[in-house]
Amino acid sequence: MSGEATDRIPVTTGTMTAKGSSVTGPGGSALPSYPRPEQLLETVGGAAVAIRGLTKVYDGRPVVDHIDLDVPVGSFFGLVGPNGAGKTTTLSMITGLLRPDEGRIIMAGVDVWADPVTAKTKMGVLPDGLRLFERLSGPELLSYLGRLRGIPADTVTSRAKELIAVLDLDEAGSKLVADYSTGMRKKITLAAALLHAPPILLLDEPLEAVDPVSARVIRTVLSRYTAGGGTVIFSSHVMALVEDLCSHVAVMGHGRIVASGKVAEVRGSAASLDDAFMHLVGADDVAEGGLEWLGSSPA
Amino acid sequence: MVGIFAGLKWRLVSSRFRAASGATKGWLVVGWCVAVLALGLVVFGFVALRTNPALARTAVVSLFTVQMLSWVLAPLVAFGLDETVDPARFALLPLTTATLQRGLLVSSLVGYLPVANAVVMVGAAIALSTTWALLPIALICAAVQLLLCVIVSRAASASMAGLMAGRRGRDLGMVVGSLLFLVYIGLSFALNQTASSASSNGSSAIGSGITSLSRALSWGPNGALATIPSTLHDSNWGRLLVALLTPTAAVVIGWWWWATALRKSLTTLPSTTEGSAPSDGKASGTAVASSLRGMVSLVIARDRLLTWRDPMRRIPWIIVAALAVLWPLLVVRGHGSLFAVAFPAVMMGLQAGNQFAVEGTGLWLHMVAFADRTRARGEALGHAIFVLIPGTVIVVVAVFLQAIIRDDLEWVPAALGLCLALMLGSVAFSGYVSARLPYAMRQSRKSMFANSVPGQKGRTMGSTLVSFGGGIVVALPALVFLVLARAVSPVWGWAALVVGPISGIVAVVLVSNLTASAYLSRTPEILATVAVGDRS
Repeated sequence: MSGEATDRIPVTTGTMTAKGSSVTGPGGSALPSYPRPEQLLETVGGAAVAIRGLTKVYDGRPVVDHIDLDVPVGSFFGLVGPNGAGKTTTLSMITGLLRPDEGRIIMAGVDVWADPVTAKTKMGVLPDGLRLFERLSGPELLSYLGRLRGIPADTVTSRAKELIAVLDLDEAGSKLVADYSTGMRKKITLAAALLHAPPILLLDEPLEAVDPVSARVIRTVLSRYTAGGGTVIFSSHVMALVEDLCSHVAVMGHGRIVASGKVAEVRGSAASLDDAFMHLVGADDVAEGGLEWLGSSPA
Repeated sequence: MVGIFAGLKWRLVSSRFRAASGATKGWLVVGWCVAVLALGLVVFGFVALRTNPALARTAVVSLFTVQMLSWVLAPLVAFGLDETVDPARFALLPLTTATLQRGLLVSSLVGYLPVANAVVMVGAAIALSTTWALLPIALICAAVQLLLCVIVSRAASASMAGLMAGRRGRDLGMVVGSLLFLVYIGLSFALNQTASSASSNGSSAIGSGITSLSRALSWGPNGALATIPSTLHDSNWGRLLVALLTPTAAVVIGWWWWATALRKSLTTLPSTTEGSAPSDGKASGTAVASSLRGMVSLVIARDRLLTWRDPMRRIPWIIVAALAVLWPLLVVRGHGSLFAVAFPAVMMGLQAGNQFAVEGTGLWLHMVAFADRTRARGEALGHAIFVLIPGTVIVVVAVFLQAIIRDDLEWVPAALGLCLALMLGSVAFSGYVSARLPYAMRQSRKSMFANSVPGQKGRTMGSTLVSFGGGIVVALPALVFLVLARAVSPVWGWAALVVGPISGIVAVVLVSNLTASAYLSRTPEILATVAVGDRS
């Protein structure tokens, strides 16, 4: 899960140091270094997604801090971390919605930012909190997006019909997306992400604020997708869900990857992934102490 | 409790100033100074009216009635700008309806607009005081007028709070707002025409019309308040009694209406979450973006569908179409009004502006779907053609209408050449600045008049100016032939009709390349900019 120790070239004059891969710059400061582009593509051939030195800085503060990550093909990969850990920022950079300050992302053998045209065909995306084309109905949205991707109209229609049935959106009928519930919005976005049958799905909080029935439907569809060879990367706050669904997990804290690997490896000797997570992000003693007045005050 | 409400409103009103940067604070202070100056002029005008009691009464009766209408309609077209208008915000507080009502009444009187209203009311009171002894009575009438405006306005907004909380209600608000704008244009046109005919007949038809209207309005609760000082002065006791009873009854009924609406809105969930216009399922289309032509067709079909369904897209078209027909008649009396269609033509071109922000962060759906040049250019051309089809029809109809009304048919070719070039040029550059200088559009739809997002007003202005400027540059060749047509012979107008559209089409095609390049190189930055509109 770390940068490859191959022939490296410095690519930036930033002051952050990549894990185990620093060189000294002209001014004597430590510079991050990365594999040469052509070698990087060769070395990550087995990974669905490979990230090297990914960085995003806001107002001088690194929100994502030189992270390296490899996601195996066919894995159900959970990206977990507390609020502000950098999960959404990382996923946004992987999906091309946010420009990284440094680093590279290789998806299914394609550099996401160097060859975005090909990269877009490799991924399906479900972001959190972004709007849809609100005045289209669900079937209209799928039809439009499918044809936007160049899929023939008949194929789009049949796939959309099937996705709507499987995701239990039949009852929505001609209702506009603007009037969808949170669960319905997540499901129609998932349908849009699956429409072109991409090898990799990137989902940001796909089950956040979703009712249990919709959550079950989404989980089932995602499990079927990975069983068919697809790779799912999703972020979540719910450790029980990640432990239940995922084969691999990466824990983020303060913009860095603090642990990653198979779920059992990350959990280690802890009783649960939740306990391991609390320990990893340094939150063992949160909500302890104080509040003695709670429950005893008359007003 | 009343003090807490007043303090809350003051904090809400002043928070924008406190949060503003130094430069913005400076501009706000300049704006206030201009507003104070304008208010001073209004008050001075009313004070000057004091010497003509009949005219003063006519003016104040009209003012009081218009003021009441404005107070009632303002929340409908700008719901959400005043956070205390929505009673649901107070639903969880342990307050009785009566306490909440008193608190909201006081909070309604805190703010820039209530203060401006109060200042104008003082001016109106002075105008109504033919003797200084009547001034206290007139001031009381003015205070009751303000109170009545607040009570009825709050009662109306509490009644429609459930409606305005939903998308359907806000859509309705936008439609009502645009209709009011059209009524305003129509009334201006009618008054203009009346004034023209009156001046040509040597009579004061417009003045007598307003006087008759004012006489009728003086029997209403607001008008009656304006007549109390004069009826008291004239010792017209019967009329005074009626003038006292009418507004008193209005205040009592208004207070009861407000209390009832408030109680209902605090205990009832809005039932307007369902879509007002579900899809008929016929509009899916078959165009596929596997080629430039396919992408253009796909984007045009989508724009057509969303414009039909979304008032925020549809209303500007209605307003611009009305402007194209009525505005030239208002600004140019006599020959040459067909050339005034040039302004609405540029406005039509602006409908292609900020095209990547209209759906807010919905832009991500395009960002993850494609990054190739063909589709990016197809999108730019699709948006452009979607605007140009109805735009051309409106420009042609408007120019011919002006030519027929003013008997200017010989200038039609020159005017059409100029207007079409302006529209095409502005469409071309509107597309380009959509990618280079995007700005967020409010997605909350709380007000049809609140489009700019704080902090991006400069971008909005810059984008509009570039689109205007681009239109003018592209229309320069047509303008040269127009000058020749005016100076040498109208035959040159035909050259303008040929050159204008050709230069415009060339601009649209060439600039679409630049638009595609700018879009592809800046999509994450465009998304970051327009995302602000989701939260506004």
